[in-house]
Amino acid sequence: MDESKFNQWINKVLTTEEDEISCSDCFDRVSDYAEAEIVGAEMDAALQQVKQHIHQCQVCIEEYELLRDLIQIEDGHVSSLDK
Amino acid sequence: MILVRAAAYTFGRNLGDLEAFGPGQIEQLAEDCAQEALLAILNNLAKFRGESKFTTWAYKFAINISLTMARRERWKGVSLDLLEEQSDQDGWPSEYLPKADPEGSAIRAEVRRILTEVIQNELTEKQRLVLKLMVFDEVPMDVVVQHLNTNRNAVYKLLHDARSKLKLSLQSHGIGAAETIDLFSAQG
Repeated sequence: MDESKFNQWINKVLTTEEDEISCSDCFDRVSDYAEAEIVGAEMDAALQQVKQHIHQCQVCIEEYELLRDLIQIEDGHVSSLDK
Repeated sequence: MILVRAAAYTFGRNLGDLEAFGPGQIEQLAEDCAQEALLAILNNLAKFRGESKFTTWAYKFAINISLTMARRERWKGVSLDLLEEQSDQDGWPSEYLPKADPEGSAIRAEVRRILTEVIQNELTEKQRLVLKLMVFDEVPMDVVVQHLNTNRNAVYKLLHDARSKLKLSLQSHGIGAAETIDLFSAQG
């Protein structure tokens, strides 16, 4: 682990919330969150919790980023599947 | 089939995990993951609330299954038992590089001292283990889940509880204000 990643982790510690949703709850809503994020829609409390979870969870943010990028490619916002 | 595209896209972005596989084998893996995703979708149809496009909702199953598979393939030959035996701090950065701001460096050193103490003395054995494996050794969540024969939610809860204890301890030492958070995100 390099220093930059170590500092990112300390940032995660300092931004820990008392209540954070589980990976399953995040998975249930991540498709709604991805579409809302892309169009810049206002997020309700449930989607804010998804945002908090993916900030903290390495695997959920990886899945979220893949989903977000894939749907942007499908919608023609990004030109190539080779991204 | 859109699920195969989602699986192939996931693999394309994570080819480093699949070095042992040729292009034809990766294509086959994508087909297999798409098939598994289709079953998961059929089993979860009642959960689709129409708040996103159906394709977006469906893609996440293919991505989830493919990424889990890719990560586990990459770590297949690594013994987590051996990693468990190493010191908690083996994965920590050895030294902070000297920084221009002495005050910031002092705070970072203090944060490190407090974290070390809490990890050693206040975390449960399981909290310490998942923290070590996932944060310091950078083992992916799904590999740890498989190793501990558990599920993501349980591992996430262990990590969350560990972070909460660490945060509380930092706060009790006066560390945790917005400036401190900025100090670490700026390094990020």
